[in-house]
Amino acid sequence: MAMRELVTGGAACAVPGSSSSSNPFGALANALIGSSSKTQERLKEIPTSTTTGTEPPFYQDATAEDRLRALPGADFDHSFSHHSTPQSSEFLRGFRSADQNGFADAWEDIHRSGPPPPPPALLDHRLPPPQFQPTLEGPPQRVLSNFLHSFVGSSHGGIPFRPAPLPALGLSEGDKQCIRDRSSIMARHFFADKSEDFINAQVNALLSSLDIDGDVRAKGPLAGRFRELEDYWNESQGALRPRPPQSDGWVAEFSQHRIDHGDPNAWAHSFEQQHGANSWASEFEQEQRLVSTADQMGGANISNLAAMEQTRMLAHTLAQNNDPKFQNSKFLQFVSKMSRGELIIDDNQVKPAALSSSGDWATEYQQQYTAGPSWVDEYAGNQLSHGPDQWAKEFAAEREQSGPVDEQWVNEFSKLHVNDWADEFGRQVGEGAFGESSADNWADAYDEYLNEQVVAKQKSDASRGVYVFSDMNPYVGHPNPLKEGQELFRKGLLSEAVLALEAEVLKNPDNAEGWRLLGIAHAENDDDQQAIAAMMRAHEAGPTNLEVLLALGVSHTNELEQAAALKYLYGWLRHHPKYGTLANPELSDSLYYADVARLFNEAAEMSPEDADVHIVLGVLYNLSREYDKAISSFQRALKLKPQDYSLWNKLGATQANSVQSADAILAYQQALDLKPNYVRAWANMGISYANQGMHEDSIRYYVRALAMNPKADNAWQYLRISLSCASRNDMFEACDSRNIDVLQKEFPL
Amino acid sequence: MATTELKSDAIFELLKRFLGTEEGIAVKNKVNLVYQFNISPKKIGIDEVIYTIDLKKGEVIKGQYEGGKPDATFSLKDEDFIKLANGKLNPQIAFMRGALKIKGSLSAAQKFTPDIFPKPAKL
Repeated sequence: MAMRELVTGGAACAVPGSSSSSNPFGALANALIGSSSKTQERLKEIPTSTTTGTEPPFYQDATAEDRLRALPGADFDHSFSHHSTPQSSEFLRGFRSADQNGFADAWEDIHRSGPPPPPPALLDHRLPPPQFQPTLEGPPQRVLSNFLHSFVGSSHGGIPFRPAPLPALGLSEGDKQCIRDRSSIMARHFFADKSEDFINAQVNALLSSLDIDGDVRAKGPLAGRFRELEDYWNESQGALRPRPPQSDGWVAEFSQHRIDHGDPNAWAHSFEQQHGANSWASEFEQEQRLVSTADQMGGANISNLAAMEQTRMLAHTLAQNNDPKFQNSKFLQFVSKMSRGELIIDDNQVKPAALSSSGDWATEYQQQYTAGPSWVDEYAGNQLSHGPDQWAKEFAAEREQSGPVDEQWVNEFSKLHVNDWADEFGRQVGEGAFGESSADNWADAYDEYLNEQVVAKQKSDASRGVYVFSDMNPYVGHPNPLKEGQELFRKGLLSEAVLALEAEVLKNPDNAEGWRLLGIAHAENDDDQQAIAAMMRAHEAGPTNLEVLLALGVSHTNELEQAAALKYLYGWLRHHPKYGTLANPELSDSLYYADVARLFNEAAEMSPEDADVHIVLGVLYNLSREYDKAISSFQRALKLKPQDYSLWNKLGATQANSVQSADAILAYQQALDLKPNYVRAWANMGISYANQGMHEDSIRYYVRALAMNPKADNAWQYLRISLSCASRNDMFEACDSRNIDVLQKEFPL
Repeated sequence: MATTELKSDAIFELLKRFLGTEEGIAVKNKVNLVYQFNISPKKIGIDEVIYTIDLKKGEVIKGQYEGGKPDATFSLKDEDFIKLANGKLNPQIAFMRGALKIKGSLSAAQKFTPDIFPKPAKL
């Protein structure tokens, strides 16, 4: 076995969920734990300790550490799903499974050599078992194995472990880090009934022998967010017990860290107020619920796990903000709920999670726990919660190297990299990066978001290209809805026309003209998604209809869908009776913009008096963002068709997109003079004013557009932005509830 | 080839033009920070196209910021960027959902709002 494998673990050494009886490492652990009934009892009290063991594979990310700081217990699912064995062995079984790259091999060696024998350090005090001879020479891994063995042995009698001179083992920095972290964690299991000083002494003795920087707790990955929690715990509990020496270091470091953020006591105090004296207990309960939920959700819902994770971090950070206004904010409540899995976000919609009874173990544990948590428990939980991160990190690194992974979702999850930025977020909040207003920002964001969901729900169908019919349609049953629709459209009553035409296509689903006009009505109503959905049906019914092809090209251009737009515009050329001959049939599969543009220029040369060719050319130039060319094309077309209101709008929109907003407004005005109910032009007006910073004006135009078509979602979004820019937050509520009457009264045009 | 274009390209192009206008200069002076956007067609981190919005100089550059470190870097999908730019997606919510990754100064990131993007007009 290579040295590296001994320390970091071979790929073969873990079988998650394997039973402890067939697991030498688990058996070893049983033996160890069994040797100290006191320890065992204690471990039963501390299910948190199982965190060490059961590393669910989704903590594959290098920054898993930070997740776990915020989420002690989040990784319970494995260990608690196997209830058949006592908790202590459970924990160690899991321990092994997590310890992919750990000392497992070394420990296995130990186990094979029989019950854990006393270490060399004990020889003075006890009779060694006859078969045991510590071999501190030989191949490095053997030496290391025996040495670690003796360290474990020292746990039996609680006898100080003595450093021993060792030959150079050639440990890499990574190996040292690994040993350092793990030994300090394990020591806290083994010596759970010993004082902190003792544990530190033990670990330091081990580390100094291995020539590893032993100052494990004052630096390195173990110090982190929990350091702060522990610190405040110490403060709030008073001197229950003498602090371990390093702890002073933390306090100092912590205080320094917090100095620019305000009085360190203040937030501890506020946290206490918020959570009550038994804050740990309640915090922990929360974790438990989170975990049990996570358990239920299984691996299927990774993005929700990620979101929960994310919000958990967020809630944690936000909870430390001592602004009372913030503490009571809906946003914080929302985040907390999400972090506990009570709410899940599904494709931009928040849903309550189906939170059934949390697992038995959680309840059981809560009962035990609330019975009287001791400092030691807290401490153990705290320490242990750091443990797995380190391993997870290494585990992740290992797995990434070793290529394909069995659990696909592990990969999926790790790709989310939620921790980076959650961590980043926490850090920056900690540094006081947020100003006074941040609480408000977030709370606002939340409110805003709740409103957005309603919209998102309605839109989700249309965005998939499926036509969404109105719920209540008075024109259903009308004797001739198509004629009615055409009439309404001609009068400019677009929303009414939409209803009538919907009734028509419900009656005659293959009526191309019904679908086409419906699509046009939607486009003029500023709803491109519905327009596309309707036009697709028209296209199915009549694939060579030029108006349909052009309309699809335009709508896809508006939706910035270049490839689709190009396809339909080329289709227009191909199916045109006059220009179809220009089309190259080989072109239809792979369209290049330049080819299509060239063909249309040829067409324009063929018949310069055909307005339609210039219109399509203008759309094409919009696609390539050659706005000057587009403007001249539309202007040429307008000379031939000066009464075409949609053409005036196209000109205006093109001018607006090339930031000639003043010209654009003139063109839109032409369109509106020809067709006063042209919602799209009203909305475009609003955009032009907004882009010129004239927010009050833009609001009036948006409101006007929305009064005519309350379903114009884009306009609602833009209206909200303009309200915000105009500092008219007082109108948010009306905007969010889509109360057009209030808005019209407030912003008459 | 047109099919490899991002929808976001249009928005950045529009912003580039917009920053030359009076209102664009006002926005620039108000924010005065440099943002980098890593836009991915399908999945965050894959095939990223990088845009730098330099609101100190009032420029949009395709590619990484060359004047040092941007104040904040956002990574997101093309689709989500469009939603963000037109106000359909709230940056904070996107962040919480994992749809938006942020690097750099968070206070700088907080100053980023969809308001800075001009809205495209519809043909």
